[in-house]
Amino acid sequence: MLARPKIITVICIIGYLSVLFTFPQVFSPGIKKLGTMVPAIYGILVAMHFIACVGLWYYKQWGVQLYLIAFFAKIIFYLLSAQTGPVFYVNAVLGIVFMFVLLKHYRKMNPNL
Amino acid sequence: MFWLLFKESIFFAWHSLVSNKLRSFLSLLGITIGIFAIILVFTIVDALESNIRGSIQSLGNNVVYVQKWPWSFGPDYPWWKYMNRPTPQYFELEELQKRCKTTEAIAYRIGARKTIKFRSNNVQNALVAGISHEFYKIKNFDLSSGRYFTENETDAGYHEVLIGASIAEALFPNSDPLGQQVQISGQKANVIGVIKKEGESLLGMSFDYQVIMPFNFARYIIDTKSENVDPTIYVKARPHISNAEMMDELTGALRSIRRQKPGVEANFALNETSLISQGFDTLFDLVGMAGWIIGGFSILVGGFGIANIMFVSVKERTNLIGIQKSLGARNIFILLQFLSESVMLSALGGFFGLFLTWLITLLGKDAIDMEIGLTGANVILGFTISILIGIISGFIPAYSASQLDPVEAIRTN
Repeated sequence: MLARPKIITVICIIGYLSVLFTFPQVFSPGIKKLGTMVPAIYGILVAMHFIACVGLWYYKQWGVQLYLIAFFAKIIFYLLSAQTGPVFYVNAVLGIVFMFVLLKHYRKMNPNL
Repeated sequence: MFWLLFKESIFFAWHSLVSNKLRSFLSLLGITIGIFAIILVFTIVDALESNIRGSIQSLGNNVVYVQKWPWSFGPDYPWWKYMNRPTPQYFELEELQKRCKTTEAIAYRIGARKTIKFRSNNVQNALVAGISHEFYKIKNFDLSSGRYFTENETDAGYHEVLIGASIAEALFPNSDPLGQQVQISGQKANVIGVIKKEGESLLGMSFDYQVIMPFNFARYIIDTKSENVDPTIYVKARPHISNAEMMDELTGALRSIRRQKPGVEANFALNETSLISQGFDTLFDLVGMAGWIIGGFSILVGGFGIANIMFVSVKERTNLIGIQKSLGARNIFILLQFLSESVMLSALGGFFGLFLTWLITLLGKDAIDMEIGLTGANVILGFTISILIGIISGFIPAYSASQLDPVEAIRTN
């Protein structure tokens, strides 16, 4: 297994923590009010983010690919549901920074599952 | 190919769950309790909300209540300012009818608890309401039999009443109430109509236990000067006239009727149903939040339980994984095999949680006379949470299993 750089470890830990905090939002009354299928869609996004973090932890290329998909899907979800508070902007900026770091390490990562 | 892999991994997962029945049952118990707690709270909140919103709806969105006390919530209620205000009077209704142009209907109502008798049957503490004629234009109620008062009957104060469905059932168990004579506080009155059954209302505004009579008849039964009879003038706005517009006109008209000087604070309250809705919104948010926190912790514990059992499962079957891999099983197959197992475990837990909730709603329906049921949205939410927790708690053990080296794995005891 290829050695994982410290910066990726930090990104993974931040990712795991964010999953820990966003997971309860899936069944929060606020999300439920947005529509019947909204908790399910949001749940899929949270799960994608978590799986992407596991992929990054194992230093796999599919982790970066899934991370990018989850990031843009989340941005679209927040924009469509008009949840664009200060937390959204902080997440967006952090996400973009992380994306650049991940893309920088992409070639060195393991391309297999 | 993927479908074949998926089918086979589901088969493996099912086999593993069935061969460890007690372990599977204990691990899904956490998810069952969590889903049960969350969905039960959401179901109860939904039922209460729909009941209360229905009751508020029956009050009318475009109706303003002229009363002595304002409806407001919170600790800073200056009751000392309101206690010396006069109560709305019947003559004010007549004056408002003459002066207001933005109103579609105006009605007056007083109410008191009385015993109503028919031969040897009686209903104690029935809500007896004295109303003016236009009351039917403001409050939504249907008659199951009979008719409403004519204008002449209400003005002249005919000794006639409309009775609620529960009162009709209690007083006339085996006969038709129409045309029968009931007795209220020594006064006889003919039953001319029965109000259709409405069921329980959490706001206590169901017509089932009410007796409605013309105000001019109610004067003989109810002490109209008493404050306890809750004298209220109901005012309904014309179509396309906003409540705010009507309230401006009402304020001017009432101040002039009560001869209040400009600048002096109005000595009446104009209440709207939106004030009640706002109060309940806060309450429902709090209850929903409490259910979310309690259920959330149960789900979290259940998730850790499943993750733990999946790690044990991987450890137990390391040797088998090694054999499968050496025979050509791909990483994705091993991953799907363990992931399916955890999702299946979790989804089963969710299913049992939803089943328990459904049972409770069935029991609750019989115990309380209120519409309560498991909604499609809550079922979807329950399954979403359980599948999600299955994926999240099972992915790391499943992925670590898929990454095992076949030679190392076969060597493991």
